[in-house]
Amino acid sequence: MSTALYPLASLSQIEKTPSREDGIPFELEEDLRAYGCKFIHEAGVLLKQKQVAVATAQILFQRFWYVTSMKQFGIGDIGMGALYLASKLEECPIRMRELINVYDLLLQRVSHRLTSTSSSLQHRPEFKYIPMSYFGSTFYDLKDALVVAEMQILKRLGFNVHVVLPYGTLVNYLRVLGLTSREDVCTRAWGYLNDALQTPVYALYPVPTIVSAAIFLTTRHLGISLPSSPENRWWELFDAEWEDVWSVCGYIMRLYRERDVKTQKSLWGMLTKKGVRQWLEENTSSDSNTQGS
Amino acid sequence: MSATPGPSTPSKKRSRWDADEDNQPPEPQLSSKRRAKSKSAKSETPPVQTLPHAPPGRPEPTHPRHSIFVPPRTLHPTLTPSRSVYCYERLNAIEEGSYGVVFRARDKQTGEIVALKKLKLDEEKHGFPITALREINALMSCKHENVVNIREVVVGDTLTQVFIVMDFIEHDLKTLLTVMPSPFLQSEIKTLLLQLLSAVAYCHERWILHRDLKTSNLLMNNRGTIKVADFGLARRYGDPVGVGGLTQLVVTLWYRAPEILLGATTYSTAVDMWSVGCIFAELILKEPLFQAKGEIELLSMIFKLLGPPTSTSWPDYQSLPLAKTITLPPQQPPQLRQKFPYLTAAGLDLLSRLLTYDPEKRISAREALQHPYFSESPLPKHPDLFGSFPSAAAGEKRRKPFDSPSAPARAADYKLLTEFDAYADAHNA
Ligand SMILES: Nc1ncnc2c1ncn2[C@@H]1O[C@H](COP(=O)(O)OP(=O)(O)O)[C@@H](O)[C@H]1O
Ligand SMILES: [Mg+2]
Repeated sequence: MSTALYPLASLSQIEKTPSREDGIPFELEEDLRAYGCKFIHEAGVLLKQKQVAVATAQILFQRFWYVTSMKQFGIGDIGMGALYLASKLEECPIRMRELINVYDLLLQRVSHRLTSTSSSLQHRPEFKYIPMSYFGSTFYDLKDALVVAEMQILKRLGFNVHVVLPYGTLVNYLRVLGLTSREDVCTRAWGYLNDALQTPVYALYPVPTIVSAAIFLTTRHLGISLPSSPENRWWELFDAEWEDVWSVCGYIMRLYRERDVKTQKSLWGMLTKKGVRQWLEENTSSDSNTQGS
Repeated sequence: MSATPGPSTPSKKRSRWDADEDNQPPEPQLSSKRRAKSKSAKSETPPVQTLPHAPPGRPEPTHPRHSIFVPPRTLHPTLTPSRSVYCYERLNAIEEGSYGVVFRARDKQTGEIVALKKLKLDEEKHGFPITALREINALMSCKHENVVNIREVVVGDTLTQVFIVMDFIEHDLKTLLTVMPSPFLQSEIKTLLLQLLSAVAYCHERWILHRDLKTSNLLMNNRGTIKVADFGLARRYGDPVGVGGLTQLVVTLWYRAPEILLGATTYSTAVDMWSVGCIFAELILKEPLFQAKGEIELLSMIFKLLGPPTSTSWPDYQSLPLAKTITLPPQQPPQLRQKFPYLTAAGLDLLSRLLTYDPEKRISAREALQHPYFSESPLPKHPDLFGSFPSAAAGEKRRKPFDSPSAPARAADYKLLTEFDAYADAHNA
């Protein structure tokens, strides 16, 4: 495999993300990142795209927000642009037309959720997808947005789109730890790695750290003990530092926080930069500026 | 709770990665905000319950001794947006290739001379072309003494202006071979071939096929060092190949391996090795080995030089898609020795192992590096002892190289040239 090192966000990029500089609070940015990644995942499922391409797209998406503000580009557009790009990178390109159809469907579903008057998430009128008219402008608008998003991702990441996925490393580490026979361990750790794709960690930490965190959470959950005495800590075998592993665990844990209906709805509305700008207008106060610094 | 380190912001922790000499103990620092957050996590959310306690802090924390497999974070590049092409001052156009235009330029900040290759992006129906992505990715992942160094990718004013910035290399081998008064010496050929082989071995070990090795894609500086360039057709070979398999529209005709000529849709590193064989021959002959006008003529030239393939020399021949459409000439002995009368037995052996019909039996780059040809007299010449030549690319001398067809077709696009001129002029004014 390639030995070239994949890029990671710099310290200053992490401390001051462009979105936070624009007044988007830390937690909101984190939620929008996760939402965008779920959106990519949904599109990937509908397109029957390979998991490697979806994961690559999510990592590129996460990197992008360390160089660009969500006020400037919508997470929906960038998410779809990332999926389009990642599919080429993984040699399983998708047709523009198919991606646009799926994007359109997902957008319609979101606006259906937003407009359904019922306050309860369970009881709302059934969603009906209306295929877009090829004579309308939707197709060309979405196509333009996609092409621009793909190019912006490339440009703003300096065309360094090298991504390393964690799965091979996980298999190796589990082997070293003698855990490959435990199917529950493999499945759960694999699941944490996938969940972590909704967090920024792949843009922040080297793969060994993230894999160690997934193994850590797994073994804790399943009550498996691994050497953790001060002289002999298993994660040091993999060159991970404790506080980094711990930090990654935190990112993953925060994904599982429950969001109330209101927060959830307001997130749906921020799939576009328009929604984000509107939120900023409505919420600009000294309070939001001091958050998340 | 206060004793439990909650999820921390990476910034706090990561200051240690960025500062090499920092010996601060890794005390888990928490903002009160973050702690509040982890407290507010719903307890029924499954994994939260299992949130562990941090192991007791060590009295004397040490940096992990990083293994070679896990380089420290400081070695990872950061996320860096592309700079503008206006960071460079345009000097002269070097070459109009099939996929873009190459310019010589000067970095305005450092004064360094570089080569800028403009990618052709106009009229793209599928967004950013996958071939351009492969070219950039291959260059970025091949950092080797004998692969041209990519410095960065810069952009112009519009979304269609993208330039690969490389180290400027004075010569390409094709031009050099035509302007050189006398051919390379055996000792020089060995040096060049070793360099080429080590670059190819490196790429192949990184799962990258070049797929367009030929003398015009081999650059050479004035210090006798070869740099493999033009990864415009490169591909990773472990990747899914998609319906229809790999394209046959690769590798400039004269350097194209017989399995591609016969329609193979799965091929591998051996196609590059055939091209290396053609280049080896060209270095000796001072002209391309197979100057064919078409695929059929090329096949018959190959059959003539090597003798037609047999069921022993190439067992899979008959199963290739186009094999049935071709009538093999009657068996005749190979002409290699006659074509290269002055090559030693070892040299001829290496050449015939490179120009081997069966891709399975064709020598690999790693093996070729160990071939006795390189350890027999005359030994490879030290690169420093190579003479220097006037650089055509730097505009030092007019040149008129023989024209080889390109892969797959050379299309002139002067629009690109004038575009670049226009904005370079505008900027320099
Ligand atoms: N880094 C470089 N330094 C000097 N000349 C270069 C450099 N890269 C390319 N060239 C010149 O430009 C020509 C075309 O570049 P290449 O990358 O092969 O493009 P194409 O894909 O169009 O063939 C080369 O044959 C060589 O003469
Ligand atoms: Mg070329």
